[in-house]
Amino acid sequence: MKENGRKVSKVILWIILILVAVIQLFPLIWLVDFSLGSSNEMFTNGLLIIPEKIRWDNYVTAFVDGNFLHYLRNSFLINTLAVVLVVIISIMAGYACQRMRWKLNNFVKTLLLLGMMIPIHATLLPNYKIYNTLNLTDTIWALLIPYVAFSLPQGMFLMTGFIESIPRELEEAAVMDGCGIYRIVFQIITPLLKPSIATVAIMTFLNNWNEFIMASTYLSSPKWKTLPFSVLEFTGEYSSNYAVQFAVMALTAAPAVIVYIILNKHITKGVAMGAVKG
Amino acid sequence: MKKLYSNKWVIFSLVLPGVLVFLFAILAPICLSVYYGFTDYSGMGEAHVIGFKNYQDLFHDSAFGRSLLNSLLLAIGFICIQHPLAIIVAAVLDKLQGRAEGIFRCIYFIPNVISVAVIAYLWKFIYNPDFGLLNNLLKAFGFQGQVNWLSQQNAIWSVLLVLIWHGFGWGMLIYYTGIKNIDPVLYEAASIDGAGWWTTFFRITLPLMKPVIQVNVTMAIISALKQMETVYLLTNGGPSNSTQFAANYLYQQAFKAFKYGYGNAIGVIFIIICIAATIVLQTIFRDKKEA
Repeated sequence: MKENGRKVSKVILWIILILVAVIQLFPLIWLVDFSLGSSNEMFTNGLLIIPEKIRWDNYVTAFVDGNFLHYLRNSFLINTLAVVLVVIISIMAGYACQRMRWKLNNFVKTLLLLGMMIPIHATLLPNYKIYNTLNLTDTIWALLIPYVAFSLPQGMFLMTGFIESIPRELEEAAVMDGCGIYRIVFQIITPLLKPSIATVAIMTFLNNWNEFIMASTYLSSPKWKTLPFSVLEFTGEYSSNYAVQFAVMALTAAPAVIVYIILNKHITKGVAMGAVKG
Repeated sequence: MKKLYSNKWVIFSLVLPGVLVFLFAILAPICLSVYYGFTDYSGMGEAHVIGFKNYQDLFHDSAFGRSLLNSLLLAIGFICIQHPLAIIVAAVLDKLQGRAEGIFRCIYFIPNVISVAVIAYLWKFIYNPDFGLLNNLLKAFGFQGQVNWLSQQNAIWSVLLVLIWHGFGWGMLIYYTGIKNIDPVLYEAASIDGAGWWTTFFRITLPLMKPVIQVNVTMAIISALKQMETVYLLTNGGPSNSTQFAANYLYQQAFKAFKYGYGNAIGVIFIIICIAATIVLQTIFRDKKEA
């Protein structure tokens, strides 16, 4: 009797998990499915279509006319730079606020963490004005500066937490050996922060990789536009060719999904660490 | 040692980049917003200081009220639909051992790594009355006729559905981590005492998850306030402001309606609301922890 009950509850358990998985995944399967057919085939009564002929040329069009490589390169470059800057700046500021002895350390720390409460979108209007005046619109700085600024508070928060947990004895020994502060920060502390650097990097990447509203406000030419613009600029051009639109969406989503599946364990850990502490 | 650690120049050089970024990208724009909030600037030409007029207008602006109401609805949707589901799925997932656990966890999070641009356009197609997935699904269950998912009555619920769907994996993952941190000894003790799954869930999992739930609820409310991107692409606040959110509204007012000054006034109020909400939530939860 009890054995049976256990079996039933196990079945229910699996049904719940599979049902949720289907809900989370089915729209994406639908997307890929329709991207391989022709636009006419979409007007069906069924949920999915079996394309008469698999149309890889939808993807060729998406790849070429969607400027995929150009936007991917921009996204990769800008995000990598943002991650590097956020990590370096947050380690430096975090160390200064946590370890150095000065009067304003708590004030500066609170100030830098305050950024977490400020909604990004409220700065869109004034920042546009500022960048316009300084001739920064349409340059890489127009993206890099706000991306760094709005990922920095979280980076700071995580770094100060980790720096606090590093035993002071290590630094004392280094000071005895005549080490300067800069060498302590970059050669002794930084290597110890590897797990938190990974967390900060993952959170910064996730925050900024898919960002488009700042990009579309501060940029006008395609020069520095990022991956979401493959989709945003494509839909107008091919408004009636739905299948190609589906292909460009699938293609745009692909890099992040593939990287996520490969690095899934690390990313999950990073997000969990970042979110629970944040 | 002490001298080394209180060297002003070293401290200054370490903090400078961070402070500069903060001043330039966060503080300066806020100050500018406060200034433009007091003007009738349209985006071009000259700005005239008009005192508190923008704020008075804002007070009577029903679209702004609707934005805040929608944020409230979204927060309720997150807390009453997304989070309970996320906790239950996380608890169920925790019981699963081996490969399947990792695979499901991976699947649930996938929508989160996909760009909002893709998600919003994808759901626009899902809601499409002619060939959209949702209407086809209804047809498959024998329901006749077309539902207009983005009509004035339905649009806000359709928007909520997308947001709840998209953020599910994130919430689930955090609850899942919280559950993983619970000492397994407690579960063993419960099972020795003959406690079933539900009893264990309500008596052990939920009470121990309280701090995680508090963090998650705080984040849900804040993100409901800050919502913009999905709405911007999916409905752009329409039809007739029924799916408006504060961030989207201020953007529209400044760049589409050419009321840049008014847009900034909304921005200032928006910032105040976000900061106030964060502080209030933190205070509530901190008090509870001490009690």
